[in-house]
Amino acid sequence: MTGLALKNVTKSFKEGDSTVDALKNVSLTVEPGDFIAIIGPSGSGKSTLLSIAGALLQPSSGEVLVNGTNIGEMKETDLSSFRLTDIGFILQTANLIPYLNALDQLLLVRRMKGKVTSKDMEFARTLLNDLGLGQKLGKFPNELSGGERQRVAIARAFVNNSNIILADEPTASLDSNRAFEVVKQIRKEVKDRNKAAVMVTHDERMLEFCDKVYRMEDGVLTLQA
Amino acid sequence: MFLAIKEMKHSKTRFAMIGAIIMLIAWLVFILSGLGNGLSTLAAATMKNIDGDLFVYEEGSEAAMMKTKVAGTVADDVEGQYGVDNAAKFGQSTIIVQNEVVSDSKEKNDVTFAGIEPGKFIEPEVVEGKQLDANDPFGVIIDESLHEKGYELGDTIVVTSSDLKLEVVGFTKGETFNHLPTIFGNLETWQSYAFAAPGSDNGLENPVTMIALQGDSIDGEQINANYDGVETFTKSEAVMGMPGYKEESATIYMMLAFLFVISAVIIAVFFYVFILQKTQQFGVMKAIGASDRFIKNSIISQVFVLSLVSIIAGIALTYLTALVFPAGMPFSLDFKMVLIYGVVLLIVSVLGSVISARQVTKIDPLTAIGRVE
Ligand SMILES: Nc1ncnc2c1ncn2[C@@H]1O[C@H](COP(=O)(O)OP(=O)(O)OP(=O)(O)O)[C@@H](O)[C@H]1O
Ligand SMILES: [Mg+2]
Repeated sequence: MTGLALKNVTKSFKEGDSTVDALKNVSLTVEPGDFIAIIGPSGSGKSTLLSIAGALLQPSSGEVLVNGTNIGEMKETDLSSFRLTDIGFILQTANLIPYLNALDQLLLVRRMKGKVTSKDMEFARTLLNDLGLGQKLGKFPNELSGGERQRVAIARAFVNNSNIILADEPTASLDSNRAFEVVKQIRKEVKDRNKAAVMVTHDERMLEFCDKVYRMEDGVLTLQA
Repeated sequence: MFLAIKEMKHSKTRFAMIGAIIMLIAWLVFILSGLGNGLSTLAAATMKNIDGDLFVYEEGSEAAMMKTKVAGTVADDVEGQYGVDNAAKFGQSTIIVQNEVVSDSKEKNDVTFAGIEPGKFIEPEVVEGKQLDANDPFGVIIDESLHEKGYELGDTIVVTSSDLKLEVVGFTKGETFNHLPTIFGNLETWQSYAFAAPGSDNGLENPVTMIALQGDSIDGEQINANYDGVETFTKSEAVMGMPGYKEESATIYMMLAFLFVISAVIIAVFFYVFILQKTQQFGVMKAIGASDRFIKNSIISQVFVLSLVSIIAGIALTYLTALVFPAGMPFSLDFKMVLIYGVVLLIVSVLGSVISARQVTKIDPLTAIGRVE
């Protein structure tokens, strides 16, 4: 089975004496080629859900299946290489490495796996070209605009050809024109390359680009009609 | 390595500054080691040059030159016994000399007068002139450094507060003893000078300062037991017994040890701060799948490259400064030693970074998610 499946996932944080239930019995399936959105108020548990789906956090109970693998049973050291090969993250701010140019940002991810081949190089160029950054390969983050940085981050999430793409408010730091641009590009990559993608957003205007919209409220996830 | 090099290229000033500090530490280490080496040569070169395996001193002297007198007859006796192939007598005194030819300058020089047997293994090779001759009791061979002070071949040396006069027949190289240039002369000549006062020979027959022995498996215990008032010492014990030698080396080594510790701490602190500054960055890298190993390797390889380059620069700087040191300064660089200290410094700084890099494990990749920096 490919894609992402969460089954009855709960997550509670201990805060002194009280516990916060950030996720309550959440189930979610994302098939390859699906681009789904999660909206909801602040503190409702959206980032927590994404962290669990992305193997950054272990659920308190329930199962998380990524491409058929139950990540709840993995060791911490295996999780990092799992994140590397199976999951592409797009973060709220681009979070690029300041001393690497656009192309090297992508090659770094390849390097975490081992040697960089000329094929990897070619793929990285193609990705950046697709995202309209063909002229900016040698630019450092401080020489790129916010939108361009976010596009580099998108390309970085796709460079390992992982099947799952997770984006946490990828447009939060952008103005609305750039935000549309970036979401359209995520959608294009998801559809072209047949990925299972989840995007958390605050911005209701972005929802028209998504196949399904879920709403998170107090740790409970519901499909929105 | 990829990250390490890219980052250094990007933040040149920052890394150049740390590099400069490592370079200066390396420079200090090498200068100190050169000084240590120079001082120990000055203190004990003649002793170190003696190709002996075991040394006979007076019992209880702790191999200190000032405290020992032994009977020369022991040397003649042990030769061919107890595994001794060769035994050579050695006597020494500190004297004040003047060059008779240029004595109008009235310049006086402190030197070490070493009495030896011509042709025995203690006698150094001359670089100019002739070796010692038993038939020329007042001929001496002297250290080159006296050449710079105006002593020439054939000059007559006047020993002050004595009527002894010596004649320069040859020059040797690198022969200093007790921080003074060495003058080698006939043992009998030295004995008549050193024991001129009646009774100063402690009643010993053919008194000398020390006897050097050659042989692969000398039975020192047996010699200690069979001869009255003698004690054998190894070469390193004998060198340690030179006046000031132990104290000087201890001082230098202590400073070197502190420098190594300081450089480790500096590197560790620098990179600790670096890692703190880059917590967010490393969190992101971990979130997108970097293992702790990957990040640690990049930190440690960065320190390795930086230290290597800086230490090489430090070596270059050391040899440059050595060029401008005054000739009389006790400074001598031994390339093998420079290399060893360079490698130690490299290992120490890499260890410092290994300690700092350990905190990478504590960085939570979750810091990258759902937060604006
Ligand atoms: N590490 C943690 N320790 C304790 N409580 C936590 C932790 N992480 C999240 N929480 C709590 O879990 C709940 C959900 O947090 P989460 O970050 O998932 O919200 P969110 O929906 O992403 O909010 P926002 O839209 O503001 O980003 C919050 O009440 C938060 O305080
Ligand atoms: Mg959030």
